[in-house]
Amino acid sequence: MTDVGIIPMPSLDGMRLAFVLAEDRIGHDPEFRAFFTRRFDLGRVGLSRPGCLRAPSGTAYALIFIGRSGEAFPSGVEIHAIVPALEPLDEARTDCDLWAILRWIVEGVGGIWTVDALEATGRLFRIPSAMRPA
Amino acid sequence: MTAVDLPDNARQQWPFQPRYARVNLWRMHYVDEGAGDPVVLLHGNPTWGFLYRDFVAPLTQAGHRVIIPDMIGFGLSEKPTREQHHSLDGHIANLTALLRGLDLQRVTLVCHDWGGPTGLGFAFSNLPRVRALVLMSTWGWPLPPAEFHTRIFPWRTMHAPLIGPYLLGRHNALAGRGIYLSVVDRRRFASRAMSAYEAVLPDPASRLLTWVWPRWIPLDDTARALQRFVWLEQQLRASSLPALLIWGREDDIFDPAIFATRFKQLLPQAEGPHLVTGRHFLQEDSGPEIADHIIDFLRRLA
Repeated sequence: MTDVGIIPMPSLDGMRLAFVLAEDRIGHDPEFRAFFTRRFDLGRVGLSRPGCLRAPSGTAYALIFIGRSGEAFPSGVEIHAIVPALEPLDEARTDCDLWAILRWIVEGVGGIWTVDALEATGRLFRIPSAMRPA
Repeated sequence: MTAVDLPDNARQQWPFQPRYARVNLWRMHYVDEGAGDPVVLLHGNPTWGFLYRDFVAPLTQAGHRVIIPDMIGFGLSEKPTREQHHSLDGHIANLTALLRGLDLQRVTLVCHDWGGPTGLGFAFSNLPRVRALVLMSTWGWPLPPAEFHTRIFPWRTMHAPLIGPYLLGRHNALAGRGIYLSVVDRRRFASRAMSAYEAVLPDPASRLLTWVWPRWIPLDDTARALQRFVWLEQQLRASSLPALLIWGREDDIFDPAIFATRFKQLLPQAEGPHLVTGRHFLQEDSGPEIADHIIDFLRRLA
C-alpha cells in the first residue's frame, strides 16, 4: 500500500506552490489520463481547481491539470509541493514523496501497469527511493 | 553547456573544435573535421557526438570529411523544454537544415538508434546529395516493434506519464545507467565514457528528449509517426543506395536476427551484417573496428 491520499486543497496563506514535476503528455498511455479523470472527477471539475494529495512526509501536493485545444482533457499535469513560502525544499524528502505518489498513481491505474514493475524499474536504475524497503 | 564544461576525461577524448549552426530555429552543435567526401555520423537517444569519438581519426586519415551533429535536445546542442517541441519530422528537418546549410554532396550517412529514422528521412528527401548508408542497431519501418519496446518492465514503465519525467528527468536514468546496461564492457564504459553522457544532461529539464523519443516508437497503428515510418519503409524498399549493415552480436534491443535481417530484405544490395562485439551502443565496445568496416566499404565504393 502507498501512504498517499486525496485531501481538500489546504489554505495557501503563508505557503507557496513549489513546482516539482510535470508531464506534458498524460495521454501517452491513456489509462493514466482515465485514472486522473476518475479520481479527481475531472469531467465535472475541469480546470476549476487543482487536485490535492497528502504524501508520506505530511506535505500536501497540488496537481494542476493542463488543457490543450484539440486534445482530450487533461493533456498534462504539474505537481507542486505546498510548502512554507520562504523555506527551501528538502530534496530527499521531496523525492521520496514523489516516488510514493507515483506508486499510488500506478496502483490506481492498474491493468498492465503494476507497482511491482515500477519498483523493479526503480531498482534497475538504482533510484534511491526505490532501493529503500517499502 | 559547452565543450569546456565537459569532465576532464571526456574533454581529452573529444578535442574537436565545436561549431554551431542555426537549424530550423534551434542552435545545433556539430564537429566538422578532415576533408573529402563527407561521412555524417548520427547518434540517437540518449547519446551525442561523443559516441563517435573513436571514428574521427581513422575516417579523416582515410581521406574523409567527418561531420557529427548533436541532435537538438542532446549533447551540446540547444535543448527544448516542452514535449511538443519534438517530433520525428521536426528532427529530420533539423538535420536537413544543417546538411543543406553545409551544402554537402556525396554524403555517407551513418545511422544509429534515432539517427536511423532521422538520417533515412533526410536521405530519402535529399537523394541527390546521398552516396551511401551505414545502418547500426536501428529501424526504419512502422511495425512490428522490437519485443523489448513492448515490455512493461522496464521499457514502457520507464517513460510512462510522470514516471518518465521522474526516472529519466530527475534521476537521469537513461544517460547514465541506461547506456551502462547496454554495453558489453561495462567497467570500461563506466571509467571512460559514462560521465561524458551524464554531464551534457545536467538538469531535469535538459533531459526531456530522453523520455520523449521512446514515446515516438510505434507500438501499434495509432502511433503518431506511423505514416512517416510507412514512407521510410517504402523508400527503403525502392532504394538502390549502397548500404552497409553493422550490428552488435549481443544487441538485445534491436536483435540482429530480426532487425539486420529486415534491413537486408529491404536493401538486398546491403553488405553485411558485420557482427561486432556490442549491445545496443556498439560504438562503445567496437568503435575502431566499426570505423575500419566503414573505411573499407567506402574504399570499395570509390
